[in-house]
Amino acid sequence: MAISTSREGQTLIVKTEDRIDGANAREFQVDLEAAIDPNDRGLVLDLEQLSYVSSAGLRVILLTAKTLRKQNAKLAVCSLSDSVREVFEISGFDKIIPVHDNQAEAAAALAD
Amino acid sequence: MSAELNMKIETRLEELNRVFDAVRKFGEQESWPSETLFMIDLALEELTLNTMNYGHDGGIHEIEIALKSEPDAITIEIIDDGRPFDPLHDAPKPQVGAAIEDRPVGGLGVHLVRTMMDEMSYRREGDKNHITLVTRKVQ
Repeated sequence: MAISTSREGQTLIVKTEDRIDGANAREFQVDLEAAIDPNDRGLVLDLEQLSYVSSAGLRVILLTAKTLRKQNAKLAVCSLSDSVREVFEISGFDKIIPVHDNQAEAAAALAD
Repeated sequence: MSAELNMKIETRLEELNRVFDAVRKFGEQESWPSETLFMIDLALEELTLNTMNYGHDGGIHEIEIALKSEPDAITIEIIDDGRPFDPLHDAPKPQVGAAIEDRPVGGLGVHLVRTMMDEMSYRREGDKNHITLVTRKVQ
């Protein structure tokens, strides 16, 4: 598992690789925490490459949402596959984390 | 036509990747669509990780996994010798409606599996837990 990061203003953009599962979720958490700057106002998690996520991965996303909330920053996700979107919906994550079709839309929504 | 995959794993996190590799090859052989592979991986991960994390008071134990792929259904059986645990009744209920700051970070795994699979049943036989899962979303 490796993430790639970029920035647009005070929005951090993180692209995940193809799987976040119980075997690599811890590594994903460490990488993500290291990437977030206390001055970031928003984080877009681009899940375009993500073909599989389990509750271990959802846990890291929820922890990240909590961390960001504490620094008054917002989280959005984009480019979900049908299966990942289904997991988000069953978990109720789509109710607490905005889901966008693509990165540009997500970044624009956070910049508002 | 039906095909079977049987494997035994140890209660160590690293074993997950061996499960994923075996299931991917089996799914390719059975021409499963990607959504089906996702669901089978998820069911196996959530339930075997529960056993690895909570099933025993330490030590390395064995978990048996059996998959049966048929044209209209895939059946999963998971057998472990952990303490009695019926995921249908004993798993904590997730709070899927709670706000970010109030949401507990666990309890989603069994909820996901129950919702996505068509059937889920549990029985205790001797000193072993048996979980059986069925999905009919094969096509």
